[in-house]
Parts: sequence; structure tokens; C-alpha cells
Amino acid sequence: MMGHILCSGKIKMAADRSKRYQKIDFLGEGQFATVYKAKDTKTGQIVAVKKIKLGQRAEAKDGINRTALREIKLLQELSHTNIIGLYDVFGHKSNISLVFDFMDTDMEVVTKDTSIVMTGPHIKAYAIMTLEGLEYLHNNWILHRDLKPNNLLVNSQGILKITDFGLAKTFGSPNRVYTHQVVTRWYRAPELLYGARIYGTGVDMWAVGCILAELLLRVPFLPGDSDIDQLSKIFQALGTPSEDTWPGMKSLPDYIEYKQFPGTPLKDIFTAAADDLISLLGKLLCLNPSQRYNCSQALQMPYFSNKPGPTPNPQLPLPSGTSAEILMEDHKVKVGVKRKLPADSDPTLKKKLVF
Amino acid sequence: MPLVRSTMAANNNGSQAASTSKENPLSISWHDSAWIPMLSPANVLDYFSERTNPFYDKSCNNEIIKMQRLSPEQLNNMTGVEYILLHAQEPILYVVRKQHRHSQQQVTPLADYYIIAGVVYQAPDLYSVLNSRLLTSLHNIQSAFDEALSYSRYHPSNGYWWEFKDKEDKKREDKSNSQGSKKKPEEMSSAFQRQRVDMLLGELADKFPPKFAQPKRGDQPVPVEEDRKPGEQAAQVKEEKSEDTPNQNHSSSGSRSNQSMQPPEKRMKLSKQS
Repeated sequence: MMGHILCSGKIKMAADRSKRYQKIDFLGEGQFATVYKAKDTKTGQIVAVKKIKLGQRAEAKDGINRTALREIKLLQELSHTNIIGLYDVFGHKSNISLVFDFMDTDMEVVTKDTSIVMTGPHIKAYAIMTLEGLEYLHNNWILHRDLKPNNLLVNSQGILKITDFGLAKTFGSPNRVYTHQVVTRWYRAPELLYGARIYGTGVDMWAVGCILAELLLRVPFLPGDSDIDQLSKIFQALGTPSEDTWPGMKSLPDYIEYKQFPGTPLKDIFTAAADDLISLLGKLLCLNPSQRYNCSQALQMPYFSNKPGPTPNPQLPLPSGTSAEILMEDHKVKVGVKRKLPADSDPTLKKKLVF
Repeated sequence: MPLVRSTMAANNNGSQAASTSKENPLSISWHDSAWIPMLSPANVLDYFSERTNPFYDKSCNNEIIKMQRLSPEQLNNMTGVEYILLHAQEPILYVVRKQHRHSQQQVTPLADYYIIAGVVYQAPDLYSVLNSRLLTSLHNIQSAFDEALSYSRYHPSNGYWWEFKDKEDKKREDKSNSQGSKKKPEEMSSAFQRQRVDMLLGELADKFPPKFAQPKRGDQPVPVEEDRKPGEQAAQVKEEKSEDTPNQNHSSSGSRSNQSMQPPEKRMKLSKQS
């Protein structure tokens, strides 16, 4: 289904193109990559360049990093407003760099900024963008498997894009067995926590439910500190399922019996949420994965057609000031905690990137 | 405020049974007795935002702020419905206002709620007050006319006249009640009860011997006392009393109307003892 990762022509031209992107700023550093803000000298567009780190020697022997490979493989074929755009991939020396849309902030920063009040229309706008992006992925037989607020990027125009396809995978083959060690724990669906190896879009839907809940509460909805604790947090909030409400639950590999919790009605947890939003949450946070709504079903729910309508994108709140430049400064400080710079480098010196 | 309050009280009495209905917020009240002892200006809005309070709109900005654990100062940056504490007169009265915020400076009041001794009412608008008052007065006038109409009489030869016959009959009945009402209960009570009551009355009279200081009927009580001390022949006692009553009525005809309303003799004497 997927095409070639890179056509050979692209590789040949890579050396020229490595000079095309001029580094402006350091954005952050992850486990497998370093991200810079850069300017495309050809078009003048601001982009984000993700430079994949060379892994361990053993890993490097196999070629490039697996998560990067997944990302390149999938994103090359995807194009949707609410999915991060991959513009270019090039290799230079032994490195591989990916050129993405530049995004100003992410939903984690937005939720944690207490100067922002998340109103009903804001939440509706974010929910629509997330679900439409995810619907597109699911329609193309891709599971994201790592949805969480900081993988939902937002730019200064208020457009939300799903990013980080490092754990994404195609789905749909009936007998395919997957690992259950996916999705950051707080957003992990109960079937994954019970060790299910065959699962579907439900794992992403659950994560969307948790993200929506987090937008409402402004703190993580189910912050478990271990897998066991995660399940007990889920059941305390939503009630312990039974074989009646979730048939087949007991035959899951890691099934363990939990204390019977009655659960709290969602409208008592999300006290200010309208009833239509509560019923959407109820469908997304359904313990039984086969009854959980998928994106298309969710988008058909009355919540999305009821008043008030979603906030227009440019009016969505941005952390600490509306100007993208101020925002960048802020963002830099926040990600700066994670940054690791070599001791001899001078952070004030702007240099051209050598990829 | 007092004007408003009395109206509310009237409204409240009128539809206490329907206090759960959501139809008319002016005819309901709400309170949570667990909160009442500790109400203060600092927590009265929290009290007001209790889930069961029918006056509280849960989609308001206050609830959004509360759910998102943000600081209450954020309210001023939001637009929409919010609640504020308008007036506090510790410890008995708090006034909460529901208002629509258009901007940081501009708000439109929507409704006021007052909390008296922990009970929450919605302050009615002027229209409702006038409406309620007019309706009450008209109802009373109507009732008065209906009542008056029932006493008017007409005959072709005599024309119109008032006849308060019913009332007079009732008064007569009242007067004769002292006889009638005493006889009726006697018919219903058993011989045992009668003896028992007479015994108790006798004991009571021994404990608290009646003082007789009546200038007009000075000599009458004496035979009564004599009668009571034997106490066994109850029938005799009662006969004597029934004789007493009309005598009194005739003797003090000046205060006739008063006496017609007075309770029977037995009680009158007891009250004079104290």
C-alpha cells in the first residue's frame, strides 16, 4: 500500500537542499531527534526541521531509526489540514532530516497555561480538528497509537495538527498482532492495559476522550502512576466493567479482577460541560472498545451541530500573548528545560545548519 | 426589600407543594441545611453553586472557572453569564446577582437572588410584584363581594335588605352551645370516662382550690364548690352548670357579644384560678 520511502532522485539532490534550510532557532530535543526552527530560503516559508539522531551502533547497522522510518513512510502519503505536513526529506552525510510545517505550540502548553480560559466553543473547535484529522488517518487504515496533548500541535492561525507518527501503524489485517505497549499511559485505553494484542481505532478514540476531558479539567483526567493504578483510576471514574458490559474482557491476556467501583456520573466530574458534550465523552470513554464510537460516529453526534458553534480558528487562544513571536520566546523557555547543548557551543551565535 | 420579601413569602406559601417544579423560579426556594451554619461572604457563592440549587445555571462562567481550576479573577476576562456577590449583610442576608458580561467593563444584570438565613429565593421583578399584589387584592375584594352578596335579600314588596340570619343563627347556636356542646360529648363518652374525668377534676380542684372573687356572681360559686367536693354525682353538677350559664348571660347583657364567643363555663373558671 505504501510507496517507496524515498526515491533515489531525492537522495541525490539532498546535498543541495541541505543548504536550503537556514536554522533560526532551537525548538526542542526528543529521544530520537532534535528539532530546529528554520527558514526555507527558496520559498521564505518558516518550517521545522527534525534531525534524526544517529542511534546506537547496533541500531544504526539496521539503517535508520525505526520510528523515523514509520513517520516518513506514513506521512509521505498523507495530506490533511489537521495532520502535520511533511514537505521534504533529505539525507546529508549519515543523517536524515525531515522538514515539517512549523507549529507554534501544542495542546499541552495550551492546557497548562492558566491565563487561558477554555470555553465551550474553544473545546468544540479543538475536538472537531482532532477528530477530523484522526478520521482521515483511520479512513486510510492508520492507527496513531500515541495521541496525547503534546502531539497535537497548534499554529498561530489556530490550526491543530496531529503529529508524531513514531508509533503509528497500519491496521485492518484481521490476524495481525500488535504490541500493547503503545500510547502514553494516561491516555491508554483499558483494552491495552489488559494486554490486548488485537485492537483497532478504539485505542485512539479513548485517547481523544482523555484529551477532551483534560481540556475541560485543565489537569490530566486519569493520571495513573503505574499500569495497575491506571486501570483502577479508570474504573474509579467510570465504574468497573463486568462481563455483561464488556463481553470478552476476562479473556484478555493481562486480565485481573478489580474491586467493584460504581463510577461517578460524568456530569458530576465535568460540572460545567453541556449535556451534548457529556454524551460525546460517554461514547469516547466507553470501556467496551466495541461500543466505543469511531471518529465518523462521534462527528455525527449532536454536540457538533448544536449551538454554540466552534470558535473560528484565528480566534482560538494562544499561550501568553497572541503574537507568534512572543509565543516563540515563551515556547523556547519551556522546551529549554529539556535542551542539551554541547558545552562549547555559543547559543547566541546563529549558524547555518550542517545537516 | 421588605416589600419584595413579603411578596415572595406569599408566593412561597402559595406553592410550597410545587417547590420542585422548574416552571416559575419566583415560587420556589432552595436551601441546604448542612451549609447554613457556616455561611460567610467567602463561601456564599460556593453555597449558591451547589449542584441541587435550581437557581444556579451550571453552564455559567463561574462553573467553567471552577471546573478548570482557574483563578476567579479570570471571570472579568470572559463573556457570558456569571454570578457575583452583590451585597452581604452578615450573618443573615446575602444578595447574589446573575449577570451577562459583555466586556471587562460592561455587564447587564439578569436576576438577583437573596439568601435569608440560608434560604435562597429569586427576587421578583416589578411586574411580578405588582401582578401578584393586584391579584391578591382583587381576590380578596372578590371574596368580600361574594360574601356580602350572600346576605342580601329581595322581595317584591319589601325591596332589598340585608339579612344576616345565618350569622345570628350561628350566634344563637354559640350561646346555646354551652348547653348543646356539653350534652353532645356526654352522649359519646362512656360512664367510665365520665367518672374518671370527674375524679380528675375533683383532684385538681383539691390541689388548686378555686378562688372566688367575682363581685357580681359572688354567691354562685359556693354551691358549685360544694357540689364538687362530693364529686360523685356528676349529673347534678352539670345540671347546675347549665343553669348557671344562661343566668350569666342575662346578668351581663352589656357585654353580650363577647360572651357569646366565650368558652363554656368550666374553662372560664379554670382560667380564673391562675
